[in-house]
Amino acid sequence: MRASSLLSESLAVLGKELTSELRSRVALNAVGLFALTTLIAVAYQIGPYKIEEADRPHLLSALLWIILFFGATSGLARVFVKEEDARTAKTLRLAARPLAVFFGKLGFNLILLLGLESLVVPLYCALMSYTVESVAGLALVMACGAVAMAASSTMVAAIIARASGSGTLFAILTVPLALPLLVVLIQGTKAAATSAALAAVFPALRAIVSLAGVTLVAAVYLFPVVWHD
Amino acid sequence: MLAQLSGTVEPGRVLVVAGPNGSGKSTLLNILAGVIRPSRGEVRYRQDEGDIPRARWFAHLGVAAPDMAVYDELTAVENLMFFARLRGLEARLDSIGALLEELGLAAREHGRYVGTYSSGMKQRVKLAQAVIHEPGVLLLDEPSSNLDTAGHDAVARLVDRFRSRAAVAVATNDPREMAWGDARIELAL
Repeated sequence: MRASSLLSESLAVLGKELTSELRSRVALNAVGLFALTTLIAVAYQIGPYKIEEADRPHLLSALLWIILFFGATSGLARVFVKEEDARTAKTLRLAARPLAVFFGKLGFNLILLLGLESLVVPLYCALMSYTVESVAGLALVMACGAVAMAASSTMVAAIIARASGSGTLFAILTVPLALPLLVVLIQGTKAAATSAALAAVFPALRAIVSLAGVTLVAAVYLFPVVWHD
Repeated sequence: MLAQLSGTVEPGRVLVVAGPNGSGKSTLLNILAGVIRPSRGEVRYRQDEGDIPRARWFAHLGVAAPDMAVYDELTAVENLMFFARLRGLEARLDSIGALLEELGLAAREHGRYVGTYSSGMKQRVKLAQAVIHEPGVLLLDEPSSNLDTAGHDAVARLVDRFRSRAAVAVATNDPREMAWGDARIELAL
């Protein structure tokens, strides 16, 4: 027997999640189909030429995050519910320390979100003629936004799984967590779209990192209680 | 339910928990496993004269119950490697294969997805995940359910192997499983 570490246990959970997902493709299909459908519907109905030039950065940034958010929530919320449905939650609960489960699931949600962003953002820019002045700034906002959104979604997913997968509860819990995050993400994306200076995204980035930090710290303390009780 | 229940189980003993349906056999095992908190009273596990913190129970307990499952999308070997890694063990293929064969799962089945298994084969994998870390406490709820005679015999040998080194509790109404016990609790409705 060797000394176990939180990192190796979290990686074991992450590896299991990725293997299961690659074989079942439940979350991939849900997230991909939802995001692409929304993206095409938005592109078809609004199109690149129906928004005033002055309004474009703000409106297109908001639309981009609405597509990403709704695409993401269709898959991220299932990360714990599927364990309860398959009756593997108790087996996992009795075999792993809670934080290893949380960080493993968080890692999976993060990879899913980053994959979603990699697919949707270039397509969105092409379909909506959305020009970005600072690509590095946008990449930073997307990366930090993915961490913050994955952290809050993972925590909320754990809570709703313990509440028998209540969709209503998901909505109620997600709004206060997601709303401030979406506001700063839209601001950061708009800043990257309108200014070539990387520093332009820093104010939004500070807020995003702060929200991610607060959510992660809260999750580290709350998740073991939610997971076990 | 379970009022006035008190006792100690030492390693080297097999405790059988029996009683009619609804008498609380599974509830008692869930309380012992830490899955359910009792409304009154407490469960303590001791090692080297000290209490094991509740947060570390998972490292010392092995549990198999009807409301548990292993992952359908993984093979039997992948499932056991996963649970071994969670418990900080070196996941060695030969020892995993040996454990599965001890429980009656033939080597040719080890690489199949568990989702394609029969309920008896799944039960064998579930029992294997419960003992892969050689726990000091083994809690088995209806361990022979879904198993044929050969499967039942394999579980009996497993319980015998753990009898000398672990505290074992078995919740059952099966007379064959009751015979494994050194002590018995009869729960009533």
